[in-house]
Amino acid sequence: MQLYLPIAEIPVNIFVIFAMGGAVGFLSGLFGIGGGFLLTPLLIFSGIPPAVSVATVTTQVVASSASAVVTYLRRKAIDMKLATILLAGGVFGSLIGVILFDVLQSVGQLDLVISLSYVTFLGAIGGLMLFESVRAIRRRKSGAAPAARKPGQHNWIHGLPLKVRFRRSKLYVSVIPVVGLGAIIGFLGTILGIGGGFMMVPALIYLLRVPTNIVIGTSLFQILFTMAAATIFHAMGTKTVDIVLAMTLMIGGVIGAQFGARMGQNLRGDQLRLLLALLVLGVGLRFAVDLLLVPEDFYSIAIRKGAGS
Amino acid sequence: MIRPALFIACMILGLTASAAQEEDHSKDLVTALSSDMVSIQSNFTGTEIVIFGQASDIDRRTSEPDDFQLAIVVEGPPQDITTRRKGRFLGVWVNREAERFQNVPSFYAVASTADIGQIAHRTILDEYSIGLHHINLAVSGVSNVPLSDRDDFRRAFIRLRQQMGLYSEREASIEFLTDTMFRTTIPLPANIPVGDYRVKSFLFNQGELISETEQTLAVAKIGFEQVTFELAQNYPLVYGVLAVVLAIFTGWLAGVIFKKD
Repeated sequence: MQLYLPIAEIPVNIFVIFAMGGAVGFLSGLFGIGGGFLLTPLLIFSGIPPAVSVATVTTQVVASSASAVVTYLRRKAIDMKLATILLAGGVFGSLIGVILFDVLQSVGQLDLVISLSYVTFLGAIGGLMLFESVRAIRRRKSGAAPAARKPGQHNWIHGLPLKVRFRRSKLYVSVIPVVGLGAIIGFLGTILGIGGGFMMVPALIYLLRVPTNIVIGTSLFQILFTMAAATIFHAMGTKTVDIVLAMTLMIGGVIGAQFGARMGQNLRGDQLRLLLALLVLGVGLRFAVDLLLVPEDFYSIAIRKGAGS
Repeated sequence: MIRPALFIACMILGLTASAAQEEDHSKDLVTALSSDMVSIQSNFTGTEIVIFGQASDIDRRTSEPDDFQLAIVVEGPPQDITTRRKGRFLGVWVNREAERFQNVPSFYAVASTADIGQIAHRTILDEYSIGLHHINLAVSGVSNVPLSDRDDFRRAFIRLRQQMGLYSEREASIEFLTDTMFRTTIPLPANIPVGDYRVKSFLFNQGELISETEQTLAVAKIGFEQVTFELAQNYPLVYGVLAVVLAIFTGWLAGVIFKKD
């Protein structure tokens, strides 16, 4: 069934979009991720204009994280103070992101920046995850006990000023890295159409040393509101949020996520991380290939002013 | 939908044509559209517009009917469009040169009775923008494209627009129903921009333009598509907040529904 998208101004097959939302939702439920980094490229590759894809996926991420935040709120597994400070940084980063998005679009380098960022971040994170999960699987096979977290462990981040106490996370750290982290994730999320959970969670664990039981809820909470801000900024700035596309993706996504989450419970954590690492690397590689191969068409056009711009 | 419209249009055309003849005998060309409005709704997947006309003087002139040629141009509202060319930079393919074409039609379709080149001299074709290679592609002053490459950019621009189905040139696509009555169909793809279109018909005799007509065609979103689009354009904050509220509600609802089983 073809449905005309009011903002993207093209007809799409609604079942294909629904299935994409469902498939990405399934993976996001399976791995406990937002799935934006899969959904945005999928939409771009299927012919939705990049600007519409990025802006609309920010809306979809709001829905998928809202559904999970409800659960974590109930379990009280969210450090509200930490989340709020991350969020302040996130909203700021998102605002800068929308401004840059507009500038890049007008000079014709938006697609390049999106591709390069995907290659860089997915390549780096995917590589690290792959390395870590392979090591974990080997360690499990050889029977060695994993190194326990040492409470007194410190790194350079703990030497920064403006320290604040986060009771829920049992942390006493400077607000500078917290705001900075929020801003970077908010900025990237807005430009790339991703929630950024797969970057936020490792950063909170390894850089700030937030306890693992608090990390996911806190990260989701901050993603929910940063992406809500990003949706509003995109709606006002680039005017490319397509509400019909977003609704279709959301409904597919939340249903898929339920099945994914159920299946995820039957898989081991390190196996899941290995699969996720391969998936992340695969998407990054796909972008890298596009950048390096000789393009089929050297020319492209973009409407700057007038009808349909 | 087209057929009854065609019938009615023929009737109206017949009436107006005879009325026109009584009032003004110099009027050689009369045209009508199957519809003067294309509405885009959620089920819109493209449509077509039928243009009918009567070149009433063809048979009364002394010259051969083959000396008469017709061209019909459908032009969408103007746009400024940037054409970019990729080049290798540090091993990566990036957009390098760019050329901005100003006030070019967002949609352009031409139908004719013969090869465009045979209809009239190219200066006339250029003057009236008849034919894909005769559209006025004005460039902006700022451009980093070398002069020798400008034609490549024009050709690429036209080719890309053709690939999108927004530009087309269909020769010998005007069909004569009688000696003087003709009809042609112009397909409008699903991705047509909204706005006011102009349908221009030209009648040539031995390369000389003897008559022309112009009609307007409105392409507009209606119903839900229109409300959504206008909300997004005119009240972006409301639209953005609405999108967020819908998303949170959907997510929350899913959380509640699936929690129970």
